[in-house]
Amino acid sequence: MSAIAARGIVDGSARGPALVGAEPISFLGDVDIRTGRVVGDLPSLRNTIVKGTVLIFPYTRGSAGAWRFLYQLYKHANAPVAIVTQSVPDPSVVQGAILAGIPIACEPEADLATLVQNGAAVTVEVKDGKATITV
Amino acid sequence: MRLTRDEQEMLAGTRGEAQRRSMEGLVQLGEAFGAEDMVEIGYAHVHPGMALYSQDVELMEDLVKIGAKVVVPTSANVMNVDTENWKLIGTPENLARLHMRGVRAHSALGAVSAMTCTPYWAGHWPSWNMHMTSIESGVTVFCNSVLGARSNRDGFFSVYAALTGRYPRFGYHLDENRVGTHLVRVEADLANITDYSCLGYHLGKIVGTDVPVFSGLPHKPTLDELDALGAGLATTGGVSMFIVPGTTPPITSIDQAFAGRKPREELVVRQADIDAVYSSFGNTPAGGAVDFVHLGCPHASFQEMQDYGKLFAGKHKAEGVELWITTSRAVKALAEQEGIVKLLREAGAKIITDTCPMSCHFARTTSPDDDIKLPPPPMSTMVVDSAKQAKYVRDMIQCDTLLTGTKEAVATALTGRFVPRAP
Repeated sequence: MSAIAARGIVDGSARGPALVGAEPISFLGDVDIRTGRVVGDLPSLRNTIVKGTVLIFPYTRGSAGAWRFLYQLYKHANAPVAIVTQSVPDPSVVQGAILAGIPIACEPEADLATLVQNGAAVTVEVKDGKATITV
Repeated sequence: MRLTRDEQEMLAGTRGEAQRRSMEGLVQLGEAFGAEDMVEIGYAHVHPGMALYSQDVELMEDLVKIGAKVVVPTSANVMNVDTENWKLIGTPENLARLHMRGVRAHSALGAVSAMTCTPYWAGHWPSWNMHMTSIESGVTVFCNSVLGARSNRDGFFSVYAALTGRYPRFGYHLDENRVGTHLVRVEADLANITDYSCLGYHLGKIVGTDVPVFSGLPHKPTLDELDALGAGLATTGGVSMFIVPGTTPPITSIDQAFAGRKPREELVVRQADIDAVYSSFGNTPAGGAVDFVHLGCPHASFQEMQDYGKLFAGKHKAEGVELWITTSRAVKALAEQEGIVKLLREAGAKIITDTCPMSCHFARTTSPDDDIKLPPPPMSTMVVDSAKQAKYVRDMIQCDTLLTGTKEAVATALTGRFVPRAP
């Protein structure tokens, strides 16, 4: 077990299996809200299910409509339980996560892509701008 | 965050639940991005409520229930239904009725039901240096880059800003982020408005969320060309602002655009890059059959409506082709007054407001409540004159999608056969 410090973006705490992606994600288009399945052209994640995972990826891209799709994933009970990105996510994604109560951490002090295997249990705790990711 | 007394009162709930909820969300957002305080906004472009998404119109109705009222001029974005002409385009009645509830919610909030992605053509626009918020990334780009206002690419919280008149000071509200990153030298001809949308579409993939600065444009861009450029940039990239020295207020030189620093990167765009955007769409060859033609993405300006009128005057679309022209309610009213709507209808066009092909019930990637029985999209091959519409039609409606210039799209509508952009 190791605890990695990160910047806290959206408060909350969650635990779930890691799902680690190598590409940036657009919540508008890359993830099917009805199933939680990754349908976008993301080789490392294609056909995986984001539901219930701690979703780890480099950064968010694409439409300002992203908030709605993250919120819809939550409404359909298909949302990740937490999101960890390398760089700060788009304001729209942050707004969707606040509405849906999904904690977000970013800028972790260690390279999670090499530390964390898909499926490994990860805990994310975010409060007052600080985050701890336990793997 | 440092909050004024007014803002603290809103947060404490002494001014009602709507301002409390809004301020709580805005403070969370501000803390996420390290904002020190709030700015006062002068304009907000907000979520209309989208009937194609479960419980989404209800987000706006919930605000009405807790007594919310906007405190700054507020316009609503494009939505899923033309609430006037819904029967004409085959919208299921329950979807149309749900959207009418959304429109009523906006009236109750005190917002204007502009229902457009180009509120600036409809009379809603900020001044230079005005802080504002926008749920539509195309509006963010236009207002930052052409009008000199200050806006981020927001989501739902744009309505929280409208209800409080406040927004956290971060991103493009700060001078330090309104500085060029990439110097783009344009060597392409840019012979029509669609070329500008391709220029943006090509560059968005390269510059991501950065700020491109343009040099070498063939002339001072027109309003419609600037609109198309911004929409293209916001489609493939996360661009919030571009700079054309001499056009973007208050920047008059390349040096000023980079605040005296060196560009991080220099790029050249050639005609081949523009051509490659056109040819990246669709499988139907020149002369192949087409059953749907769309003009007006982003929602047409009055000038564009006039252009369409000239191209269609005295002519009629081919049989078997569905022809849509999309614009805002306000621009349609002006075009009606000038006889343009009548002329375009006589040519066989449907003049649609409030929505567009990629935003309406044609999209396959939505998730409506189960009792809205959506018919499958009626088209198999669609021609558009906007790189933004082309991308989203391809990905969301999932039909063969072809991109061409406006004149060529009109020629396609008149013949029912695909006319590629003339070289």
